[in-house]
Amino acid sequence: MRLKIENLHFAYPSNRVLKGVDFSVNPGEIFCIFGPNGSGKTTLLDCILGLLTPDGGTIAIDGENTANMPPARLAKKIAYVSQKSGRTFPYTVLEMVLMGRTAYAGMFASPGKADVEIAESALDRLGMLSFRNRIFTRLSGGEAQLVKIARAIAQDTGLIIFDEPTSHLDFRHELNVIKYIMKTAREKNIAVIMATHAPNHAFFFESHGLPTRVALMDNGVFEASGTPSEVLTPENMAKVFGVVARQFVNSENDMMHQFLMPVDFCDPKAEP
Amino acid sequence: MSLKKHPVPAFAICIGLPILLIGLSLFIGRYTLGFSEIVSILFHPAEWMNDPERAIEYSLIHEIRLPRALMAFIVGGALSVSGGALQGMFRNPLVDSGMLGVSSGAGFGACLGIILFPNSAMVYFLAFAFGLLAVMLSYLAGKIYDSAPTVTLVLGGVIVSSVFSALISFTKFTADPMEKLPTITFWLMGSLSRANFQDISIALIPISIGVAGIMLVRWQINVLSLGEKEARTLGVNTTLSRAIVIVCTSIATAGAVCISGTIGWIGLIIPHIVRMLFGNDNRILLPASLCIGGAFLLAVDLAARSIVSTEIPLGVLTALIGGPFFILILKRTKGGGSW
Repeated sequence: MRLKIENLHFAYPSNRVLKGVDFSVNPGEIFCIFGPNGSGKTTLLDCILGLLTPDGGTIAIDGENTANMPPARLAKKIAYVSQKSGRTFPYTVLEMVLMGRTAYAGMFASPGKADVEIAESALDRLGMLSFRNRIFTRLSGGEAQLVKIARAIAQDTGLIIFDEPTSHLDFRHELNVIKYIMKTAREKNIAVIMATHAPNHAFFFESHGLPTRVALMDNGVFEASGTPSEVLTPENMAKVFGVVARQFVNSENDMMHQFLMPVDFCDPKAEP
Repeated sequence: MSLKKHPVPAFAICIGLPILLIGLSLFIGRYTLGFSEIVSILFHPAEWMNDPERAIEYSLIHEIRLPRALMAFIVGGALSVSGGALQGMFRNPLVDSGMLGVSSGAGFGACLGIILFPNSAMVYFLAFAFGLLAVMLSYLAGKIYDSAPTVTLVLGGVIVSSVFSALISFTKFTADPMEKLPTITFWLMGSLSRANFQDISIALIPISIGVAGIMLVRWQINVLSLGEKEARTLGVNTTLSRAIVIVCTSIATAGAVCISGTIGWIGLIIPHIVRMLFGNDNRILLPASLCIGGAFLLAVDLAARSIVSTEIPLGVLTALIGGPFFILILKRTKGGGSW
């Protein structure tokens, strides 16, 4: 599935949030959106998901404009993995994943046996099948995130959107989630859009051979976009975040890893 | 004690319990009837009806005990299903069937009816109409402030409920204390003693429409309970689904309240008991709430008319029996993973 966004504008009554965003994502590709808090990342994702109606510009999936597309139809094309999930009622893991089949069940029906099989195979793909009868609200943050990825897979879309999927996760779960995102993009040849605060994830995808692009978002526009090495540079970090960032490269066992880390403020007066 | 893993006994309980209690309620009462007599009255009504000496037994079963039992089941079921559906839609386990002002609106409608048109069908009609009017007002009050729809609706419901409660107090204050005040007071405490087949068949229309509508969207209620954003991205037309839930629960609750008076607690407590026993999936939760809620009100009504010689108001007993019963289930299931 190919997503193409042209000249997207969005404004709340008091402030303009998106001021002309253009990009496209192809199947099997990972598109990372990186930028400061309040730069418009979440608004952009909400527009793509059909939760907000843009004031100008177009969003098209395989050439078809998504404006006014009914939720059930859009849900068969784009899946969403949120940072945190509704935890009012303790559904089982299988029930949670089965909710990914809602768009296929129709308004007045429930998912059937075939949907249960799809949900179980999605859980299996993430090594979570043994969790099927566990209570979702009692899972750890990392386990819950895997369940939601399974739900997105069960939704059987060509594009999955992640909103900071690894925030609040420990080292091991962070790696696990990142690896499963990579595996899903590669094996199912789907497009991935990921809002993230971790530049190193983009480098990680790139060094594992996935077609990866990064957009550096600031103040409602893409300040830069391209491959991680092109965009995630100390110069751009200074421009957008006002921080001095250092780059590291490590080569071992024929794998090259790059890292980027903020070490100081550009403006000494910002010192606490 | 969770019944989630045993679908067969769970199903048997849901179907068997109400039937058992309806059967039992035919036997219980001050006028004693034998088993064979009751069976005969049920299956050969013509023999009893036309015999002047036995017409009393006939009317006792067919005009008093049977309609009352059926009404208890229908009202209890409708309130429980509505409460459960609204809890899911509002993502709030403390919501009950009267959340949007139906109960207090219907209460005020009934008060008006009792004062203006005593002993007429207008009481039912006004109760029903004001129940629905209250929901509409809650909705409009909620719309003024543009925030998450579930929050503003609850707020609208609270405001409208308190306005109608004040109006109820005012009508009580002005009502004739000898005749009308007692009628109003008993109506507000809930009673099934006036049950007859005609009332049931009229109330059954809105109740069936409402309950059937809720059952149709019960999977969507699961998804709605995850919140607006997740529900939309999973393919739910949240505006439409929420509207269906609100309209259907209001019709069903108003239908129940207009014949039974305000019976609190059931719409809050039964869905939670069912959550503990059967889990939170609304595909099972809502049908099970219908059966267990119906059975619960049947049992409470049996107690209400047999514990002491005068009848205990139902609203009093549902809370008195419901509270400890809830604690007991909570203790047995340790919450059963329900929250």
